Amino acid sequence: MSLSRRNFVIATSVAAAGSTLLSACSSGNAGGSGSTPSDGATSYTGAKVTVGTKEDSTGPAPEIAGAKKGGTIYGLAPDDFSHLDPQRIYYAYNSTAALLLHRCLTGYKIDSTGHQKLVGDLATDTGTPSADNKTWTFTLKEGLKWEDGSELTVEDVRHGIERSWASFITEGANYVQSALTGKGGKWRDAYEGPYKGKHLDSIVTDKAKRTITFKLAEAKPDFNFTLAMHSYAAVSPKLDTKEKYDKKPAACGPYKIKAHTTDKSMVLTRNKYWDPATDSIRNAYPDGFEFDFGIETLDSTDRLIADQGKDQYAVSIYKGVPAERIQKVLTDPELKKRSFNGLLTGIYYYAINTKRVTDLKVRQALNHAWPLQQIRQIYGGPSAGDFATSILSPDVIGYKQYDAYGKLKTPQGDPAAAKKLLKEAGKEGMKIVYAYPQDPTYDKTKVVIENALKAAGFTPVIKAVDSTSYYDQIQQIDNSYDVMWFGWSPDWPTAYTVVQPLFDGGAIGNGMNNISQTNIPWINDGIKKNAVIADQAKAGEAWQALDERIMKEVAPIIPETFSRRYYVYGSKVGGAQFDPNFSATLLYKTFVKA
Amino acid sequence: MLRFLIRRTLGAAVILLIISALVFVLFYAAPRDPARIACGKVCTPETLALVKKNLGIDHPLPVQYWDWLKGLFVGRDYTSFGHCDAPCLGYSFQNREPVLSTILDRFPATISLALGSSVVFLVFGIGTGMLAAVKQGKALDKVASSASLIASSMQIYVVGVFATYLLVDQLHWLDRANYTPFTSDPVGWAQGLLVPWLVLSLIFTANYTRMTRSQMVESMSEDYVRTARAKGLSRRTVFFRFAWRGAMGPIITIFGLDLGTLLGGAIITEQTFSIQGLGRLSVKAVSTNDLPMLLGVVLVAAAAIVVFNIVVDAVYALIDPRVRLA
Repeated sequence: MSLSRRNFVIATSVAAAGSTLLSACSSGNAGGSGSTPSDGATSYTGAKVTVGTKEDSTGPAPEIAGAKKGGTIYGLAPDDFSHLDPQRIYYAYNSTAALLLHRCLTGYKIDSTGHQKLVGDLATDTGTPSADNKTWTFTLKEGLKWEDGSELTVEDVRHGIERSWASFITEGANYVQSALTGKGGKWRDAYEGPYKGKHLDSIVTDKAKRTITFKLAEAKPDFNFTLAMHSYAAVSPKLDTKEKYDKKPAACGPYKIKAHTTDKSMVLTRNKYWDPATDSIRNAYPDGFEFDFGIETLDSTDRLIADQGKDQYAVSIYKGVPAERIQKVLTDPELKKRSFNGLLTGIYYYAINTKRVTDLKVRQALNHAWPLQQIRQIYGGPSAGDFATSILSPDVIGYKQYDAYGKLKTPQGDPAAAKKLLKEAGKEGMKIVYAYPQDPTYDKTKVVIENALKAAGFTPVIKAVDSTSYYDQIQQIDNSYDVMWFGWSPDWPTAYTVVQPLFDGGAIGNGMNNISQTNIPWINDGIKKNAVIADQAKAGEAWQALDERIMKEVAPIIPETFSRRYYVYGSKVGGAQFDPNFSATLLYKTFVKA
Repeated sequence: MLRFLIRRTLGAAVILLIISALVFVLFYAAPRDPARIACGKVCTPETLALVKKNLGIDHPLPVQYWDWLKGLFVGRDYTSFGHCDAPCLGYSFQNREPVLSTILDRFPATISLALGSSVVFLVFGIGTGMLAAVKQGKALDKVASSASLIASSMQIYVVGVFATYLLVDQLHWLDRANYTPFTSDPVGWAQGLLVPWLVLSLIFTANYTRMTRSQMVESMSEDYVRTARAKGLSRRTVFFRFAWRGAMGPIITIFGLDLGTLLGGAIITEQTFSIQGLGRLSVKAVSTNDLPMLLGVVLVAAAAIVVFNIVVDAVYALIDPRVRLA
């Protein structure tokens, strides 16, 4: 699949994975029961997320059996990382590099099964919220250093956030900026950035005590999850080269950039000032990484399958096995051993424009009619992913499978049920304009969709939209489409980052993501209410209830699939496993086999 | 000759100017916004305006085009990137590198691919075509004609994958395709490009075989060839001095166009073998709405074709005295 546009929405998300989160004060494991993502199994269904303790946040990271230090791991990818400046990172694939170079206050400690804990990365723990969840305080670990040996301080953490206001930074997340200023989308108006010497009043640092306190405009019980996004990584004011930082950022993670030829290659070597005792997340066994860019996915897969020379020590950084080679990987026992897989964060779905398709029964009929099975067959069959029936995906806290429209029993579509609803609505033969991004795969799926709509009594009108302008077009509120292919991935595993941007009335606008254009008081109120529930396990239950009610009473989308991605790696690579956050190879756990 | 070259060079400059203007207009005529990519997941109108300013696309189209043209001759200053020396083709929207340096970085790979494969397909294509013409109607001619028909119907992306599987992965005869600069390792350069050269030239060889054969057969039936024979010149002299020379004119014309096109980027070959040349650069520029890069690559490709057309015209005159550079 094309990374650049098809995944614009779903892949830009620096999504955290896991199916269940427990609040900082509680414990439990109601998450997904996936098998290990590192054993080549095909049934990995996600991972549970818990919030770790101070002890969990203390380094070093747990040793991996059989691993040893040394050697070089080679990484193959079709495209270079588009950004290395952490504040400009939002695309998931950029985070695969960021994990080696940058550090945030919090991060995810991932075990060999893919299950993970939110822990303190630069911070000693996951932070201390005030009773009203409007103030969050973090204490920095001791012994944190930059690649030049200078100390990493709370002021560097503050600078990393404040420089988001710089005019040259437009690509990163903006949750923290909005929360600190209380200005919503107008957060830039509230502060001019740190380069003229001014600081935000809402961030208070105490260098002596190594504490940093965030004063938020509204309650954010999951603020410590937000801070795990690389957009909020630390940057030293002394090492900040502004626009040029994107080409060669200073590292505080276990590796630093030794050489980088844009779009061709990048060499990482050890950052000798990184102290494993300060890091409970990263193992960092190899002495270095060498990345080659410009290798087409089919080519890199064939190289990894052939397993010759340096490719024995190679991994695909963020591109999974293409559909043409999936069966080969799954049916060859030797290759299967050298593979892992996992579900991508988020969901692919079809948004129904509720301003145009105003009748609930018609939207329900569309859900009944949709040919999920035929679509998945075009994607590659069951190995391509699982059928989706909900708004929340398995990697979101509170996810629970339900099947409001019988899609698990009749994934091929139920034209009779759809026809019945259409008849009741008096809309038999209704014209439905379906839009999709033009692409060889979707050119095929539109055929089965068109057939299914006809069988259900609709009159389909198919609109293939230029894939490079697809999002621009469907994100116009006055577009002329009834049903639109779409995808969404949460930025961290709480449902707020799914339901709010996709269904809140305040998220309707040109360039915004509520393309179903739902503006329903009980949904808007439910989002506000759920967003301030402090106990994330309880919040998850509330979000799940809202999810189910939206699908049953509004049906603004047709859920399609929770996609699965497979990776194959060289025979001399150890510790290769799926990164549940960024759907990539978890590089910092790899090692060179003896 | 000098007048001819001056006139054609001026004509080429006008053609390139028209092409650049067309690319500019066509790019903005499409319903796509290059600023949108750099605008993040939640793209507010304010952020979009900021991105447009950063990319230098916040002015009306004619002003943008004028700025771009000016940059070619006097350089240009960017808010985000600083000064860009003349000839400035701008900065890539996508990787924020100067377009010219990116093109200069990729051009050697494309030149290597084009020239190497040209040598292979010219030697084998013309050689086989001549042999087939000499042995017209005999077994060799039939085999060559059939083989060229099959080869010309092959697709590079199929042959390329198969050749890699067989020659590299299974038999280990050749190295996996990769590009090493000639200046750093001439042997590695040739070894890494051998499979792409063979695959790319396979299709061209077939075309040149067929073309050479038909031109030679036609040439051999010309009056001046018959006259040469009648005068008692040897078969070799007649073949190479008269028939071959007469047949080469159209082949040189086609070769000039083919080489120009190849220098603009052998897109499918570069894609199949993951070679970072101009072809892949152009595909990426299109798919990422990278106008400065697209303009740069299109101009280089157009310039290659225009220049080789001029060269072909000049060479044509040298080969065929009947042609004059009027």
